[in-house]
Amino acid sequence: MNDFLRIEGLVRAFPERRAVDDLTITVARGEFLALLGPSGSGKTTTLRLLAGFESPDAGRILVEGEDVTRLTPVARRFGMVFQHYALFPHLDVGENVAFGLTERGAAATDRVAQALAMVDLAGFERRRVTELSGGQQQRVALARSLAPSPRVLLLDEPLSNLDPALRERTRRELREAIARIGITTVFVTHEQEEAFDLGDRIAVLNQGRLEQVGSADDLYDHPASEFVARFIGRVNELPGALAGGGEGTALVRPEALRLVATAEAALRGTVTARRFAGGYAFFTVATDGGGVEVFAPHDAARIGDAVGLAVDRVAYRL
Amino acid sequence: MSAPRAAARRARPSPWALLLAAVLAWLVVYPLLIVAGDAFRADAGAFARSPAEWGALWASVWTSTASVGLAAMVGVPLAFVFERYDFPGRKTLGALVALPAVMPPLVGVIAFQFLYGESGFVSRAIQAVLGTAHAPWRLQGPVAILLVHAYSMYVYFYLFTRAGLARLDASMLEAAASLGAGPWRTFRRVTLPLLKPALAGAALLTFMTALASFSAPYIFGGGFRTMTTQIVATKLNGDDAMAMLETAALTIIAVLVFVGIQKTEGDRLVVSVGKGTPPALRRIANPVTRRLAAAAGWLLTTLLLLPHATLLLVSLVPDGTWTIQALPPRYSVGNYATLFEDAERLRPLLNSLWMAAVATAAALALAVAAGQVVARGKGRLAGVVSALVTLPWAVPGTVLAIALAALFSVRSALTLRWVLVGTAVILPLAYTIRSLPLAGRAVFAGFRQLDPSLDEAAQSLGAGRWRRLWRVTLPLLKPALAAGGGLAFITALGDFVVSILLYTFDTRPISIEILSSLRLGSVGVAAAFGVVLMVVSAVALGVSARVGAAGVA
Repeated sequence: MNDFLRIEGLVRAFPERRAVDDLTITVARGEFLALLGPSGSGKTTTLRLLAGFESPDAGRILVEGEDVTRLTPVARRFGMVFQHYALFPHLDVGENVAFGLTERGAAATDRVAQALAMVDLAGFERRRVTELSGGQQQRVALARSLAPSPRVLLLDEPLSNLDPALRERTRRELREAIARIGITTVFVTHEQEEAFDLGDRIAVLNQGRLEQVGSADDLYDHPASEFVARFIGRVNELPGALAGGGEGTALVRPEALRLVATAEAALRGTVTARRFAGGYAFFTVATDGGGVEVFAPHDAARIGDAVGLAVDRVAYRL
Repeated sequence: MSAPRAAARRARPSPWALLLAAVLAWLVVYPLLIVAGDAFRADAGAFARSPAEWGALWASVWTSTASVGLAAMVGVPLAFVFERYDFPGRKTLGALVALPAVMPPLVGVIAFQFLYGESGFVSRAIQAVLGTAHAPWRLQGPVAILLVHAYSMYVYFYLFTRAGLARLDASMLEAAASLGAGPWRTFRRVTLPLLKPALAGAALLTFMTALASFSAPYIFGGGFRTMTTQIVATKLNGDDAMAMLETAALTIIAVLVFVGIQKTEGDRLVVSVGKGTPPALRRIANPVTRRLAAAAGWLLTTLLLLPHATLLLVSLVPDGTWTIQALPPRYSVGNYATLFEDAERLRPLLNSLWMAAVATAAALALAVAAGQVVARGKGRLAGVVSALVTLPWAVPGTVLAIALAALFSVRSALTLRWVLVGTAVILPLAYTIRSLPLAGRAVFAGFRQLDPSLDEAAQSLGAGRWRRLWRVTLPLLKPALAAGGGLAFITALGDFVVSILLYTFDTRPISIEILSSLRLGSVGVAAAFGVVLMVVSAVALGVSARVGAAGVA
């Protein structure tokens, strides 16, 4: 694999807890990596360690084999888009974008125009940043971080500040802009949908540790840990013996269960609720072991029916 | 486990922050330590046995407490009237009512003397009406002092209460009403508790200002001495050691009260209600009541502006022409002319201007440096720096002046002491220390509103420490710098208490010139100086308000 950016055994310890605990991740050139995790999982700290705003207690950060762990934020040549954009309110759009440039005069003007064109804001140079909509501010922040031609782009929850209606469109624009530029990107989010939509691969963090890194399909179909299985998608807890043998508990996705005739099934119950979702529906089946959620064709059963459950696949065995 | 190691690493502050803390400690704490050291050499028995000392101490405490009560009695109702009721002229009057704030203490005192003193305006008018040869009263002693204090300090209660009321969420009052509480119960159970932080803040400010007050007891005290005038008298008598002991005693009271109120109320000062819709103004419907309210408002404002007007009037009277008449017989701008034509007379004004400007710049620079340490650090050093910036606020001006005089009259480079007393450096230095808490409070508030990611963004875009300060931090702090700078400037410009103990003839400030003009009988010139001082202060505050407003994006 083409290692462009490599995090090696990174540790960041606060007095009360380890925010990042022995983290190792590799990102390929041009890859879009999403760091996904619940709050407190260490994803933001990891991003700040990458950016150089915090220094690790152990471990290294390498770019193309060069150790940048002890470099100042600017010497790493990483661009960063902050959660609330951190646009300078006293400077206009053009001055914001030009802030990080070493060029002066006409060269700088050209570079600013280029960067703004990249994010579809050509001609916005003299606008005040406070006059822009949330989505436009986000794109100015992106243009500002891209103008000095960084090697890596870091995004800290760049969509969390937008209202839901705008979020989806901005997400699409962001994906297209970054794909066009082809820059290696690390992106922090707590929204699974965002991570799946934007990330080529997703790294799931929990309590400072890396649980799993892989594509959305990998994480869903082959979770490497109980945490990932429970965190991504929905699961039912079934006794292992009923789900194809084995000791302990099996975690089974709702769509990996089938409603079958009671006679054929080891696991039986009664349908107590149905939540309609188009051609399919979520059925709640009360069994001896508790409620089980099944995703099946909407006409597979009715409330009150006695049904049997067949297990097609187990997502994770405890 | 590397957690303790990490904690140790982060707790190590930068050498710049340590240097700043050292400089602040040298300016703020070291002088007080010198006082404490010298005080031990004084005869504590003589102090304890002297009824004069206990009398002065008690006088300071009770006049300060009474000042708080009087200022609250004027300021709080005024705030309610202006914040809750609408009547003609409300806006203009509401702004004018805060005017005593721009009057430097000494100027306020002499304006009072011109107005209510034995040969003042009011007593002349009464004499003229009654036809008596004697003044109806003597403006002296504690009553005179309290009068001046109430006049100049109700503004704190007025402004704090108005701000508190404006922050009050109308829905809380509505909730109380919907739960069946009448107006009085709502006031007692809801409004007052919510205003408590504002009232406590105003009370603390008033008490500390009254405790440190020097001009009023100095001019009106007569035989009645408060601790501040007692210290100066002892010092002028040449008993330096006793002056040190008195200074230490006053400092202890000041710091005890300061810490005490901060401890009990300070924590709650921040817990003011979040953003809410303030209650709507109640329009007074009855036309008669409306007229009465407006008339009362105008009458009150006239009363409050009388000292300013008197000062202006007296400044227009040529010396020696106004003897027994109720109103001056002749007016001219001669007093102002001498002030600006005579280079020697103009000098105090120029001195005050440059010294206040230097002190303001220095205080702002220190405040910004301290603000960066406080805003960035979570460690103990941040707390120490913040406390060092605030501390001079609890130190009465007399104490500071005595302490600096003691510290900087000895040459001993090893203990970081130089002879600065008698040089042009000492007054700007003293003004800087006095202005530091004002600049610091404004600048710290500005830093709190700064999004730290702005600085990080600049950092990730390659801006170094100085470029970040110059291009990002300072422009964003502009409103805070303007506000803090304006207050620092007028405090330094109008200072009297520190100046009288530390001035040299060549660097004598305007307040000293006012006093010596009075002593020489040049009443008109003194008044003209006072008017100039007031105008410059008002202009400085106006400029700072405008710059501050323009700085908001």
